[in-house]
Amino acid sequence: MKQEQFEAHFGARWVAFETWLARERLPARARAKQAKPFAANEAPARYREICGQLALARSRDYGPALVGRLHQLAQAGHDKLYGTPGGWLHAWLRFLGGGFAQQVRAKKNVVFAAMLLFYGTYLLLALAVRIWPDFAFVVLPQEQLRQFDQMYGPHTDTLGRARDAGDDVTMFGYYIFNNIGIGFRTFASGVIFGLGTLISLVYNGVFFGVVEAHVINLGYAERFYSFVAGHSAFELTAIALCGAAGLELGWALIAPGDRPRGMALREAGQGVVGIVAGAAAMLLIAAAIEAFWSPRQFEPLLKYAVGILNWLLVGAYFLFAGRRNAAR
Amino acid sequence: MLDTVREISTPELIELRVHCAGPVPRALAWLLDTLIRAGIFALANIALGFVGHIGGGIMLILYFGLEWLYPVFFEVLGGGATPGKRALGLYVLHQDGSPVGWGASLTRNLLRTVDFLPFLYTLGLISMLLTSEFRRIGDLVAGTIVAYRIDPTPLPEVPAAPAWRPRIPLTRPLQQAVLAYAERAPRLSPERAEELAEIAPQLTAGAQGRTAVERLYGLARVLTGQAR
Repeated sequence: MKQEQFEAHFGARWVAFETWLARERLPARARAKQAKPFAANEAPARYREICGQLALARSRDYGPALVGRLHQLAQAGHDKLYGTPGGWLHAWLRFLGGGFAQQVRAKKNVVFAAMLLFYGTYLLLALAVRIWPDFAFVVLPQEQLRQFDQMYGPHTDTLGRARDAGDDVTMFGYYIFNNIGIGFRTFASGVIFGLGTLISLVYNGVFFGVVEAHVINLGYAERFYSFVAGHSAFELTAIALCGAAGLELGWALIAPGDRPRGMALREAGQGVVGIVAGAAAMLLIAAAIEAFWSPRQFEPLLKYAVGILNWLLVGAYFLFAGRRNAAR
Repeated sequence: MLDTVREISTPELIELRVHCAGPVPRALAWLLDTLIRAGIFALANIALGFVGHIGGGIMLILYFGLEWLYPVFFEVLGGGATPGKRALGLYVLHQDGSPVGWGASLTRNLLRTVDFLPFLYTLGLISMLLTSEFRRIGDLVAGTIVAYRIDPTPLPEVPAAPAWRPRIPLTRPLQQAVLAYAERAPRLSPERAEELAEIAPQLTAGAQGRTAVERLYGLARVLTGQAR
């Protein structure tokens, strides 16, 4: 069959497919007004037909313009067929409803490693500063420590804030910007053989440990705990999870197993990016609690109770959520 | 590797051709996106100046969104391209040829932090120069490629000319060359078209000038079946 005949024979079907593609690109309301060139269930068959015609056109040495047009049609059809389906908000909520916990459980080794690094240095430093109070000044600069005296001291009426800090909404924005940013960087820097993540986890562990012990040494324990109790479950767990995701990246480079490093890195990335996204959602919750609930001076017992409840919630979520649909 | 075209097999066993984009257009796209983001931020800053003290918090949230989520949303929901990429005709796709999804887009954009080190995407540039598809570290981890979007061009008509058959046998590459010439020549200046046609005297029986061009058109029309 010569090119001329080929074009005359199939041209109408290409135009129909083009019309369908253009129609699919329209927003839903405009799409409803346009007539369909063919029923939706015909689309895959028509796409495969064009793939076949592209292969024919190439093997028969038809002109480059015709091959180019068929290639363009095939590629657009391919993108349409294999693209990301819509309804992303729904998919995201469903993921948070179970898939997130599943992914965390699937990576539990590296999650425990990250928790050990983070909580390990945390406890170690907290213990050290409790035993030798002056050790705090070895680790952190005096200026920074004085800021914490101010935040948890008896002179403020909002807990946990320096005197010149902004109001609730400003702090909400700040916690989102700062904490989620830290989480993302903790994950991303793991690609440097895990070093960046390691440094980030240890640094944060040291920082939290020293500050907590230092504030307790000053005798502000009640005010400190009634501030951090509410959001600590979400915040600390999320940072450990971002760390776990980063360690997984680094480990794929250090010990790729029987795959090339590039492939190992890619698979690690695919396995943990959901955990990072979920951790970002947890940090968002933590930011809301930290900005609007934690600074309020309610009865400490109430705030402790809410804190314990949050820890139980987070623990239960990761233990039980998504079990029903999990692969066994 | 002579050019930047990659062939990707689809499940239908055809090859999609992907034209990978190098560091320079990508840097320009990034610059454009940075300007757009800065513009949005500046406009919001002016607008939020009127809301008073709540504005500060909203600005920080906006800044966070522009820094981390802007590229992800545009890449996944905007056909693989942020506004900057779109302006330069680029788009992101998975290395298996499918359109970029949430996971890969988030991965490649979070890893910008590392690509940016130690300043202005130095690591990213080194990685691009070392990999065959110009992939920065984020692309390597996410399994993505940045490529040119080739827009469909209307089918050019081979100009009318009397049928012509040369006496020598036509090999496949020769047929391809004649077809490509006949499709491109109408867009060239007449002098250039004639100059090119005269390079192949064995196809045109040594004709010169306009006749050589006409004979190649005639041959192309025979090949496509438009003339007998």
